Amino acid sequence: MLKQIGVKSIDDLTLGLRPAFKGRINLSRPMSELELVSHMTSLSQKNKPTKYFIGAGSYNHYIPAALNHLMLRGEFLTGYTPYQPETSQGTLQAMYEFQSYICLLTGMDIANGSLYDGSSALSEAVLLSCSYKGRNSIFIKEGLNPEYFKVLKTYCEGADLKIANEITEDIACVIAQNPDFYGNMENLQHLAEQAHKAGALFIVCVIEPTSLALVEAPGNYGADAVVGEGQSFGIPVNFGGPYLGFIAVKNFLLKKLPGRICGMTTDSKGNRGFVLTFQAREQHIRRERATSNITTNVALMAIAATIYLSLMGSDGLKIVAKLSYYRAHLLQNKLMSAGLKPLNARPFYNEFVMQAPPGSGKKILSNLLQNGFLGGLDLGEDKMLICCTEINQVEDIVSFASIVKETISIK
Amino acid sequence: MKLIFEYEENSSQHISCDIEINDKDLYSNNNGNNNSENEKEEGEKDAQIEIPKDLLRSELPLPNVSELTVVRHYTNMSRLNFGIDLGFYPLGSCTMKYNPRVNEDIASMNGFKNLHPLSHEDCIQGSLQLMWELERDLKALTGMDAFSLQPAAGAQAELLGVMITKAYFRQKNQKQRAKIIIPDSAHGTNPATASMCKFETITIPSDSRGNMDISKFQAALQQDVALVMLTNPNTLGLFEEKVLEISDLAHKNGTMMYCDGANMNAMLGITRPADQGFDFIHLNLHKTFSTPHGGGGPGSGVLGVKEFLEDYLPVPRVVNKSGKYAFDYTQRKSIGTMRYCYGNFGMLVRAYAYVKSWGNGIRRISENAILNANYLQRLLRDDFNVPFDRICAHEFVISSHALGDRSALDIAKRLLDYGFHPPTIYFPLIVREALMIEPTETESKETLDNFAWAMKKIAQELREKPDLVRGSPHTKSVGRLDEVSAARKPILRWPHEAFAAKSKQ
Repeated sequence: MLKQIGVKSIDDLTLGLRPAFKGRINLSRPMSELELVSHMTSLSQKNKPTKYFIGAGSYNHYIPAALNHLMLRGEFLTGYTPYQPETSQGTLQAMYEFQSYICLLTGMDIANGSLYDGSSALSEAVLLSCSYKGRNSIFIKEGLNPEYFKVLKTYCEGADLKIANEITEDIACVIAQNPDFYGNMENLQHLAEQAHKAGALFIVCVIEPTSLALVEAPGNYGADAVVGEGQSFGIPVNFGGPYLGFIAVKNFLLKKLPGRICGMTTDSKGNRGFVLTFQAREQHIRRERATSNITTNVALMAIAATIYLSLMGSDGLKIVAKLSYYRAHLLQNKLMSAGLKPLNARPFYNEFVMQAPPGSGKKILSNLLQNGFLGGLDLGEDKMLICCTEINQVEDIVSFASIVKETISIK
Repeated sequence: MKLIFEYEENSSQHISCDIEINDKDLYSNNNGNNNSENEKEEGEKDAQIEIPKDLLRSELPLPNVSELTVVRHYTNMSRLNFGIDLGFYPLGSCTMKYNPRVNEDIASMNGFKNLHPLSHEDCIQGSLQLMWELERDLKALTGMDAFSLQPAAGAQAELLGVMITKAYFRQKNQKQRAKIIIPDSAHGTNPATASMCKFETITIPSDSRGNMDISKFQAALQQDVALVMLTNPNTLGLFEEKVLEISDLAHKNGTMMYCDGANMNAMLGITRPADQGFDFIHLNLHKTFSTPHGGGGPGSGVLGVKEFLEDYLPVPRVVNKSGKYAFDYTQRKSIGTMRYCYGNFGMLVRAYAYVKSWGNGIRRISENAILNANYLQRLLRDDFNVPFDRICAHEFVISSHALGDRSALDIAKRLLDYGFHPPTIYFPLIVREALMIEPTETESKETLDNFAWAMKKIAQELREKPDLVRGSPHTKSVGRLDEVSAARKPILRWPHEAFAAKSKQ
């Protein structure tokens, strides 16, 4: 090969890459596959997954075995963005099905092919609103996941946007999480009306989307855009990522939508096929005038969610939602008997806040952890945010409550 | 093929959704479990589904089909795809190298996959150690002083870099620095990112050797320039020959240097971006570090910075306190947080494993990537135009303009019939009928020879039987698709309302 190129050695090819790195690179010696697996096994075992009674943005739902098997197919795993549609119909059709599922669940007209995660999806929706309305401040309803708030604040600072304290005539959008961070569910029609009266868009953020099997679609109570996190649909908790951001909008916002969009069309013989469409919005064509800089998304996660929803169907998804709801309410009852006070003023889905007696909150959580339960997010002042899904077995719910009861009674 | 919405309902064969539950458990008043009955305390309320009517969903029209239907549907769908596992995928700028399968197994280990991000610090020591060591190894490879592993992709890392630039100059009371210099060969993400943070873009043309034109650069480099964003090697696959001079000029002007590291696959162990004068570099772990592209993602775009910028990185950072790892949220100047929790951790696991398996032999990756690219360029130069005739790095750009207008597109479609994925076409924008070819180090000489043979054959076909090429592909499930009507009459989802209305009739 070198002879064909017309050089003597590989060094002749790398000469131009300057300044040359002369030292010895400070990495360990190469590992064989056997050594690597053994090293990684022991590293992974330094982590201690427990039984989770915590959500707060990551939900531990059951993943059907068939999904795991389909996700290993190299045809899905090892392709890239479907720039050549004739040889990417699998990825493209899955994307079209994904967009359809998201629209069905949210009650919206158009969804894109995915964004990085729920928090970046929310941030993109805010940038979209400000660009559409030509306004530069936003309003956030109380109860947004604090991690999402942090990300949104960071994006706003980058884009010179302000977070307002009230809904006035110069805000671009009103944002509400539903169910909110504390698990509360609410029909937000009144807030949508308030937003629209101020000339703003209404954005609903859904971080636990299995709730949509029981709760009204946001499109039916006035949302102009619905964003959120699809991790609940067949994606492991993965220490926080990769997850699945989604965004869906009403028709009038189509031209402002960021990211890849798949559309149906035909070939010259009239066969149905799918392509990436409206690419003129995107960075590789529009450059500094693009709707967003997003390129790589999380297509594989979108395929996982699509297959998950297909495996579950409406029957299965309703079961998941009812079980999550039911188990959470069962646990709340048991914790009330154990001596904790419920703090949710509204109906909740599968997360709820409990107040422990003064000074006992941290002790309760550490006793739970010692017994193998990651129980509740510490909200401070002896308040904890607790979550159940269909995975939390009734026996565990019972022992969870009795550990809490013991801790309080010892005190 | 059918859409999942087009199968007949078949609830009786449903398997995956049959989690141990029946409706009696849900609605009965005995807590759904006999065991819990014994545990029931006095005064304890029974749980029921009590959702107010104005919140309750009226319809959920997802299809109910059997597990077998679903498995067949998606298996058949996958067969309409092309991937690295199926053949040569020389998509320039995307580094479509083999994705070692062991890394998939590793990322699926229980301790990684099933770890909740809000777990107690004592329960996440393995993940923290992995992140800390990956950061250390990436520092060794780039010469940078600190890394953030948070950004989900290269474009998000760029956004982070530009946000840091903004915060840095605000802090220094230099708000007048509102411009970013970007060469005309840059990825579209660079100018798009600049705009997201309200920076103005100055575009600098390339010179006859494919470098950024240094005299035009010097003229543009005024006191209002905050940042220079360079891709190195650039998107022509050429190393910026004057990178040290450019960095020097920028720094003397108080301007910072950002490296779009999409092309790091050319530099591992050979040259370090920090030594080239860059203050920032992002690395696409899904390119250089072999995490699978997944049909468009997930990726991971880690950002490295020099010491003086470390305090601006997002929180949390991982710290090592004599062998015990922890998250540190105390960074005073931090610009904030780029995403929920800590980054695409599953991708970090794969990249970490990849670095470990190559270790201090990692230079061989880049050497072979450069060898393969130069060999293939040599094979193609007689039949195609090479606009910048230099030794290339890990990729190269050729032009097919001599074969006619739209010939790059025709060649791309015809390559599908020969069993290859086409190169990136019509990019970079500065080359007419551009074909951007990145073979990567994982391909054999035989594959490169076969690809070159197909390219030459197609060039000949274009001269002798142009209609054969213009009508291609002939062997795929669909022919060329009508993108114009896809945009003009958008059909972007399954029209379930139409079917719901029909079934009600």
